[in-house]
Amino acid sequence: MADLVKITVDGKEIEVEAGTPVIDAAIDNGTYIPHFCHHSRLEPVGLCRMCLVELETPRGMVLTPSCTLPASEGQVIHTKTPVVDKAQEGVLEFLLINHPLDCPVCDKGGECPLQDQTLGYGPGESRFVEEKRHFEKPVPVSDLVLLDRERCILCSRCVRFAEEVAGDPLIEITARGNQAHIETFPDEPFSSYFSGNTVQICPVGALTATAYRFRARPWDLRKVESTCPHCTAGEAIEIDASQNQVLRFNGIDADATNQGWLSDKCRFGFEFIGSAERLTVPLVRDGDGFRESTWAEALDLVAERLGAVIESRGGEAVAGFGGARGTNEDAYAFSKFMRAVVGSNHIDARMDDAPAAELLAAVQPRATIGDLDTASTILLWGPDLKEEAGTLYLRVRQAVQKRGAKLVVVHPRRTGLDDRATWKFTYRPGTGFGTLEAFASGAGDFAEARKALDEGPVVAVVGLTGMTEDPTLATAVAAFAAGLPDAKILPVARRSNTFGALDMGCAPGLLPGRVSFGDADAVAAFEAAFGAVPDHAGLDTSGMLEGLANGDLAAAVLVGADPVRDVPDGALARRALEAADFVVALDLFLTDSSSLADVVLPAEGFAEKEGTFTNLEGRVSKVNRIVAGPGQTQPDWSILEEIARRMGRPMGFDSAETVAEEIATVAPAYADLRWRDVERKKPEGVLLDGGWYTPKAPAGPDVDADMVLHLARTLYDDGVAMRQSLSLHHLAPGGVAYLHPGDAERLGVTEGDQVVVVGSAGEATLPVRFDPSLPAGVVYVPFNQAGVPSLGAGAAVEVRSA
Amino acid sequence: MSWSPETVARAERIMQRYPERRSAVMPLLYLSMLEDGYLTDDGMREVAEWTGLTPVQVKSVASFYGMFKLRYTGKYLVSVCTSISCMLRGADDVMAAVEDEAGVPHGETDDDGVIAVEHVECIGACGGAPAVQVNYELIEGITPEQARDLVRWLREEQPDKIVADDLQERFGGTRSFDWAIRETEGAVGPFPAFGPYGTVAEEDRS
Repeated sequence: MADLVKITVDGKEIEVEAGTPVIDAAIDNGTYIPHFCHHSRLEPVGLCRMCLVELETPRGMVLTPSCTLPASEGQVIHTKTPVVDKAQEGVLEFLLINHPLDCPVCDKGGECPLQDQTLGYGPGESRFVEEKRHFEKPVPVSDLVLLDRERCILCSRCVRFAEEVAGDPLIEITARGNQAHIETFPDEPFSSYFSGNTVQICPVGALTATAYRFRARPWDLRKVESTCPHCTAGEAIEIDASQNQVLRFNGIDADATNQGWLSDKCRFGFEFIGSAERLTVPLVRDGDGFRESTWAEALDLVAERLGAVIESRGGEAVAGFGGARGTNEDAYAFSKFMRAVVGSNHIDARMDDAPAAELLAAVQPRATIGDLDTASTILLWGPDLKEEAGTLYLRVRQAVQKRGAKLVVVHPRRTGLDDRATWKFTYRPGTGFGTLEAFASGAGDFAEARKALDEGPVVAVVGLTGMTEDPTLATAVAAFAAGLPDAKILPVARRSNTFGALDMGCAPGLLPGRVSFGDADAVAAFEAAFGAVPDHAGLDTSGMLEGLANGDLAAAVLVGADPVRDVPDGALARRALEAADFVVALDLFLTDSSSLADVVLPAEGFAEKEGTFTNLEGRVSKVNRIVAGPGQTQPDWSILEEIARRMGRPMGFDSAETVAEEIATVAPAYADLRWRDVERKKPEGVLLDGGWYTPKAPAGPDVDADMVLHLARTLYDDGVAMRQSLSLHHLAPGGVAYLHPGDAERLGVTEGDQVVVVGSAGEATLPVRFDPSLPAGVVYVPFNQAGVPSLGAGAAVEVRSA
Repeated sequence: MSWSPETVARAERIMQRYPERRSAVMPLLYLSMLEDGYLTDDGMREVAEWTGLTPVQVKSVASFYGMFKLRYTGKYLVSVCTSISCMLRGADDVMAAVEDEAGVPHGETDDDGVIAVEHVECIGACGGAPAVQVNYELIEGITPEQARDLVRWLREEQPDKIVADDLQERFGGTRSFDWAIRETEGAVGPFPAFGPYGTVAEEDRS
């Protein structure tokens, strides 16, 4: 931490870190200084001149912008003198010369810094009688953001965000002088994954979001703080709703997590909540289709059919999928339902696309997101963070760009962070173990990067680089990192509350509160609490699917799970659900999976229920309700409780808070953690402690084949929340096979030609696109795209010209 | 969209001067104008590739400076200085004469694409006011009549190369510095003949 200095603002002495912009120091200590261009997460630029203050100097009082004035010992600043007032009035009079007075039809009207500051600091009248600037309006700067140039006050917040934070400098101020305006290059839109942030930080209504434009007036909005339902970083968000409709997500500046930023998927992926295709009544299978039923009939049927399976085949004939898309409370209820009511440990929140549950839930030493700010070297051996954890990507980017941290990226393909990587190593999927061995020994090209890792502190961001990778490779990488002198591990996986679900025991080898079956005392405690717990670990997702497909298992419970779309071998998932004697699905939509169920129960979704999420660093934050679920929807915990009661084994829940209360009582890592404790720490939430898993290095075989498959997720895909968010769905890349130009030549194909990719579990015909960043002999196919059959998780594939 | 081998060779020489690639953006923009006559979108894309900037960042630089032209500005760009010294010495009349003779107002190019007219801020020739530039080659002490002659001559002769001393002799009056270095290089298009910016061929730079 830098030295503390004392400065005086309007006669009040305050102590701040030396070098802090005076404007931030003053505002943080209760003296508001008006401003437009300054943003505490962007570099000071001194453009708008609104933050002028008077500074005492040996030459007398000097009028100076407080954003570009670094705090230093003994400064005396005055923010409310006649000179300052006059200067600010002048600035506002100038700004209002060209700014239109279309506030009644402007999205920003009512929450507009320019409006508010005109009221607070403006001149009251204008001397300007000439014609204002006119521009064609609006022009799209991206698929999601529109620009009304005449409203722009040229503060350059969007430009600086694009360059400094997002790393996509595709938006700029052009044309000197009176015609200066914001612009993108022809045919090169601001197609950043983070473009929506510019709408939030625009101090006027110049940048607006297509998803929100003209939808509401700010004073009609109800607001609640919550946690982003899309990625696992646990971004703090504000949900805005009006007339029982969620209309907008905005980022909240939580220093520990997202620092105010959101990826566009998180920001605009709210539309699914109000989709007309939401399930509103229970559905019961009727021949090839469904018929609507009452809750009583549907629940009776589920209890009867599940009961029959348990009676004839035992509880361990039932498989449980999901939990990651709901709250911790829902996941806990599901976990308890499977263990205590059904009597099965076959439960998994991971969709065969994540590393070991112990690694995700209980690895130690575990890093926080904030540790990235102090790491000297960051090792990223996992998913492309730009595609799978946007705000984490921004945080790593900042660490390198602003602070000069060293970054080592190991991945089969180019990643969003390559341009900032100190060292980048590309390897063929399937050769991870060999690559790790060479890397760990510091052989050849790896020498320098390996050496940097010995000098801590190091944060190792570890996950699966793709779905054809052996999941134990992540464990091996974590074991390598754990063996470094000063390193912490930050595990990453996809799908909103995956970490919370695993913590709640939605994993074959874990009980709620990160309890392993190896921990006899803790297991005994659960046996006492639950009545009985099967005494050995169950099957994971792929094991359960195989078991259902081959008849070893008989029934399945899906809680917000869509294995047909989510697992790499979707065909197996389909066979499994078709072969099962009985499938019940708790879902928001009729998905590819829930449409195969015998009973589909309509569940409440995000923003419709209260609870908690746990993010990838083990931070618990609150999820809040702002709209009512459509139709007869019920929260997952309540549906499961109703089934349990009908099966004669009630779980004892009568509200989400009673579930939370039980978690605080029985789940060790969550001991005594209650909602009010989490609320009190908002927006950051409560960071849990309780890791016990030191990864051991498994060795795996490498795959040797002419062509191998890199199957990885993209930010936008054909997942159900994306499909139901109309602003985003068309942004998915669709089915493509990326090939190295050399391989394409060998196969006799060029860009745009069709190739057949024959994977371990299916084949797909896809158009070719060149990607010189791929190693030779690798084909990259984005996972879960509309109309693309699943290929399976095997690395070895065959590619031929179609 | 790619540049001629000659332009590429010049660009490579320019790049060697700059340890930071992006610092080469302005000289390369002049090169791009030399290639296409003005800054085309493709030209700015090319500069972006050389400098590692994005095209819109290049455009931001290009559109900031008055001498980077984003539109075609004729074979001959006639720039009339209208800053204070020239204005006091009759620049407004010179400007009116040029506009009238060329048949286009400030900022426009005539229908044949031969002559473009603009008024500019101080071009550093106050001692010889009023001053006019053709393709950035200077004429001092010009009268409205001489300015008309100049425009007519440009249209009729359409010389391949414009040389300041030659223009001064034909159309100029009093020069500010009689002892100035003789300027023989001359301009071959509506962009400045600056050696360091690569807009003069190596062989002409003696």
